[in-house]
Amino acid sequence: MKDNIEGRKLVDQMDVKFETRDVQVFYGETHAIKDVSVDILDKTVTSFIGPSGCGKSTFLRALNRMNDTIPGCRVEGSLTLDGEDIYDPKVDPVQLRAKVGMVFQKPNPFPKSIYDNIAYGPRIHGLARNKAELDEIVEMSLRRGALWDEVKDRLQEPGTGLSGGQQQRLCIARSVATAPEVLLMDEPCSALDPIATAQVEELIDELKQNFSVVIVTHSMQQAARVSQKTAFFHLGYLVEYGDTDTIFTNPTDPRTESYITGRIG
Amino acid sequence: MTDQHHIASAFDRDLESVQAQLMKMGGLVEESIRQSAKALKTRDIELADEVRKGDRAIDTLEEQISLDCASLIARRQPAASDLRTVLTVMRISSNLERIGDYAKNIAKRTEVLAQLPPIEGAAGAVKRMAKEVQNMLSDALDAYIKRDAALADEVRHRDLEVDQMYNALFREFLTFMMEDPRNISSCMHLHFIAKNIERAGDHVTSVADQVIYLSTGEMPEDPRPKGNGAPYDIDTFQESDE
Repeated sequence: MKDNIEGRKLVDQMDVKFETRDVQVFYGETHAIKDVSVDILDKTVTSFIGPSGCGKSTFLRALNRMNDTIPGCRVEGSLTLDGEDIYDPKVDPVQLRAKVGMVFQKPNPFPKSIYDNIAYGPRIHGLARNKAELDEIVEMSLRRGALWDEVKDRLQEPGTGLSGGQQQRLCIARSVATAPEVLLMDEPCSALDPIATAQVEELIDELKQNFSVVIVTHSMQQAARVSQKTAFFHLGYLVEYGDTDTIFTNPTDPRTESYITGRIG
Repeated sequence: MTDQHHIASAFDRDLESVQAQLMKMGGLVEESIRQSAKALKTRDIELADEVRKGDRAIDTLEEQISLDCASLIARRQPAASDLRTVLTVMRISSNLERIGDYAKNIAKRTEVLAQLPPIEGAAGAVKRMAKEVQNMLSDALDAYIKRDAALADEVRHRDLEVDQMYNALFREFLTFMMEDPRNISSCMHLHFIAKNIERAGDHVTSVADQVIYLSTGEMPEDPRPKGNGAPYDIDTFQESDE
């Protein structure tokens, strides 16, 4: 039994995508993230849970340097993606964000056609040499976004004309079009109805075969349903990180227990 | 377990209510064992009949607990210690229901035994065994209320004594039957009664296992002690050559 656990740890270490050590994030004087060290695994869905203001979204945004755009925001500590420091001055944040895609709470398709929504990223990053290759990327991305069958006959119609759930899947398809390695999702279902939510969750489950997915969610049931690893944040600290099964049946820290059983918010 | 309350106070009420029902059920089952053993000892057919009729209340509580637990899972999505509480309540209630059935069966056999000539000393020994199981159940339910894994573990180990008492009775009944075939009818019933109590002890052990799971999050790892003996020993069935 013990050997198995040791063995699993070893495999985990081999599959680490993001390695963060003693990460601090400040907004001006405010110390929003304190000493967070966590390994995000490849081909795994990791969920960040915690009450509002606990720092989970801040930490998520630190993973693709979205915080760079916020004045007065400072990130300290070590964050490496496949062993490379993502805050190294030589790293181009735009290139980084192509590798580490992001999906937001509210679907935000470009005011362009469905086709162009997907083709935009591959075009600016020069991922396609000709129209045929671009067509192929668009189809594959829409298939990965579980949207192809619904939109294949109307690719030139505006993306904004789709339903909320379809728009969100369009945004997911758009973010996978640049062949990222990690997908960050910040409450991707909170603006969707239960059916659309279920479709996006099904999609997340499929995405983990090819990507590392990190999802911030306010729905603990969603975290329990979609993720294999769960991290609980509270007051800027990473309180507990472990297998989702363990977190939801037998968490170690009493603060985790209180939060997931609905005793503190 | 945490002493904090849920933000949704109705969740607390639902959890408390289902556990109160479980404790009520536990009390009825304890009483049922005690009364069935007493009826056997005193050859009291009326008391035995009461035990048989009383089992319905236990069954009804078990059904209600199952429904309430299903509703709790569907409506509250319990997690962590709340989830373990619900799972534990469901399992313990089915253990208690089985123990209730055994007590009922003892009462049924008592009504037959009361018509037959008594076997010397047997009813007293069976009653002592029943008393031990009843005490174990009482402690297991106490351990549940206090979330006391150490007490629960102690209960698990006491099942060995029950097994040994059963083995001793097994040999004793066999001897009586070999001595005089007219004892066979009574001894067969008495043996089933002893076996019922032994099985009830196993269910109490399972209740104790659940208490350990509830308070620690893990099932006990060491195999529970088993007193295999006389019934599995071929020598028991062979008459001595002397």
